[in-house]
Amino acid sequence: MRFLSLLLLIPTLVWAEPATVVRATELKREPATDAATVAQLAENATVDALERQGGWTRVKAGANEGWVKMLALRYGGSAKSGDSGLQQAFNVARSGSSGTQVTTGVRGLDETQLANARPNPAELAKLNGFAADRGGASAFASQGKLMPAAVAYPE
Amino acid sequence: MIRFLVLMMIAGSANAQFRLPSFDINKAIDTVKNVNKAVREPDESEEIALGQDVAARLLGAAPLAADARLQQYVNRVGRWLALQTERPDLPWKFGVMEAPQVNAFAVPGGTVFVTRGLVQKMQSEAELAGVLSHEIVHVLKKHHLKAIQKGAMTQLSADAAGAALSSRGGNSEVRNKLISFGTEMYARGLDKSDELEADRLGVVVAARGGYDAYGLPAVLQTLQAMNAADSALALMFKTHPAPAERLDALGRMQSLLDAYSAQPQLRERFAAETKH
Repeated sequence: MRFLSLLLLIPTLVWAEPATVVRATELKREPATDAATVAQLAENATVDALERQGGWTRVKAGANEGWVKMLALRYGGSAKSGDSGLQQAFNVARSGSSGTQVTTGVRGLDETQLANARPNPAELAKLNGFAADRGGASAFASQGKLMPAAVAYPE
Repeated sequence: MIRFLVLMMIAGSANAQFRLPSFDINKAIDTVKNVNKAVREPDESEEIALGQDVAARLLGAAPLAADARLQQYVNRVGRWLALQTERPDLPWKFGVMEAPQVNAFAVPGGTVFVTRGLVQKMQSEAELAGVLSHEIVHVLKKHHLKAIQKGAMTQLSADAAGAALSSRGGNSEVRNKLISFGTEMYARGLDKSDELEADRLGVVVAARGGYDAYGLPAVLQTLQAMNAADSALALMFKTHPAPAERLDALGRMQSLLDAYSAQPQLRERFAAETKH
């Protein structure tokens, strides 16, 4: 029984992230502005985010499922006031096996270590040794089918 | 005559600032020269030398992740992005630091660090590109260099600051002071406007590189979904505007983001290169 309830819990925790809609938003059938509208979501409506595709996120909103603009979603934020227990469990589940979910006594790069750092010339030499040249970087981009685009900086 | 008057005025303010016992025209001229020396922005070779000294310190706080494939990967992605900018030929170097904290740092002269803790939170090369592009913009705009320069002039005398900024490497006491200050700046953070500018221009650099422009916003959403009290986020949250505020600001660039949202994310390549 315990095993069964655990099984039921896992997909929800791993695949859906609770989120809030920051403004009134249309829930679309497809990830496109001209797609059919499934439902109107009110400002602050809560949804479960399922996956992202470009600027769109697939969500479950009550009985409906569809796509909303990714930037219309905020995670944790408003739910955070009453969080702790649940939020903690959620975060631990979220980071999965990465092992980086650390809540206390983190070692590594913090203020104290920055203040007390001594130069490490051996690591600097390693860093310099890993540098990529123009040709290597461009060939790797081609392998990934990355096409440079002419995009102007915003004003 | 006007020139003399101007000199008198400068000398007057210098006199007040440095509490010179009495007016001395030669001393006043020296002071003016020193102020000029400190105000002058380090040239590119000085910027690079300063960056190497600061990078060596940062690596003293956390070493590189012992994973040559991962290090070469971030260098290829980062250099490709840097090639799309107005400073393509800086000696760009990218490194993954072995630290569980979630953070990234830009060092003057073209060095960019990202922590293993942050890489583990990412899901695609487009997300990595978004973060690297943000840091690349800090280098392009000399945000840290200017902050170090400004700090040096309040911490050191104008004379010493000028000398320390322009010396290439070396171990003088004043140079060490400058580098310590430069390193600790990563615990204090930049102006909020610098961070928001790096976000704005960063998504453009990633889009120029051919990546899905939503990479950086996606990372910011991941950070926003994490527990804000998580100590792995403490330094990053202290030194940056809140993710929600950064996402709100990027919301004003939605049409640009949408125009380049169908470009590759390279999830599989990212997984292969970072989780082997």
